[in-house]
Amino acid sequence: MTCDTAAPLLAASADGLLDDGRRATLDAHLAGCAACRAALADQIAVRAWLARTPDVPVPADFRDRVNARIDEADGLFGVADFRAWTLRLAPLAALLALAAWLGIGAASSGPATTVATSAPAPTFAPSRAADWQRSVTGNALLEAALRPSGSGDGDVR
Amino acid sequence: MDADRALVEAAAGGDRDAFDELVRRHQSAIVGLCRALIEGRGDAEDLAQEVFVRAWKSLRTFRGDSSFRTWLHRVAINAARTHHANRGKLMRLFRPASPHEEDPPDTVEGIDTRLARRDLVERALATLPPDLREAITLRDLQGLDYREIAHALDVPIGTIESRIFRARQRLRPLLAPLVQGRTP
Repeated sequence: MTCDTAAPLLAASADGLLDDGRRATLDAHLAGCAACRAALADQIAVRAWLARTPDVPVPADFRDRVNARIDEADGLFGVADFRAWTLRLAPLAALLALAAWLGIGAASSGPATTVATSAPAPTFAPSRAADWQRSVTGNALLEAALRPSGSGDGDVR
Repeated sequence: MDADRALVEAAAGGDRDAFDELVRRHQSAIVGLCRALIEGRGDAEDLAQEVFVRAWKSLRTFRGDSSFRTWLHRVAINAARTHHANRGKLMRLFRPASPHEEDPPDTVEGIDTRLARRDLVERALATLPPDLREAITLRDLQGLDYREIAHALDVPIGTIESRIFRARQRLRPLLAPLVQGRTP
């Protein structure tokens, strides 16, 4: 074992969380390594100090404020909780799907309807926009853009 | 056996009184955790409230793989990380710890109150990068065992051991006056 591989075991050793096998390996290393013995002492000292850090005083109204925020969150976002609505509406969606399936089944079991296959194909009527695009060339647009605005109206005084 | 199990099940079913009792049980730990993870007492208390709101909203997703306490700590860790990201503090926290820049505790003279001692510890913790800070806080301030910490942070136990070792090594010189000045 090297000092690098011993390092993580020093933390666990300070916490008393080493199993017998790893403890034996670490002890063998510590017997010949003063640096790791010192590091273990540091681990124990820091751990002891941190463990005795005083608890944080909690404001008396902390729970009230938590409850108020939960009320607010439920009020604002409860109606927009899509997952909740999905769950709530799932049975209705299933019923509608079943009704639709039954309706299709009933319709398909009725008299067959004939579809006129000789109907004329729809003809494409060019839109006014397409006509405009054909009549207005790129050059015309460029010229319009570059033409001085308000020419002859005395806008520039 | 999770001591909170019955309350958690009731709260997951919408029982606000049950959830209020869970808040009462864990509020001190979560406020303390938030105080250790982010700067600013007001921000920490606000974040602690946010943790419980998040817990309430996602309680139905709690599968019981860990204790409620461990799960709640994980919610708090995630909330603190989001807080850091939103506040743009993450890069600063990732800087190497420097005793001169962070104004660490350098004396214990005149420090008599428990709150002042807590403040010194929090200032020392603030010098750590987030991964070390989270691990050492969950272990030495919150008292979670390594398995619980690994679950809360979603990393292997070996990584937790390494982070705790490095965190204590970094804290050692910062807390040296405390360690040498008084017996824990």
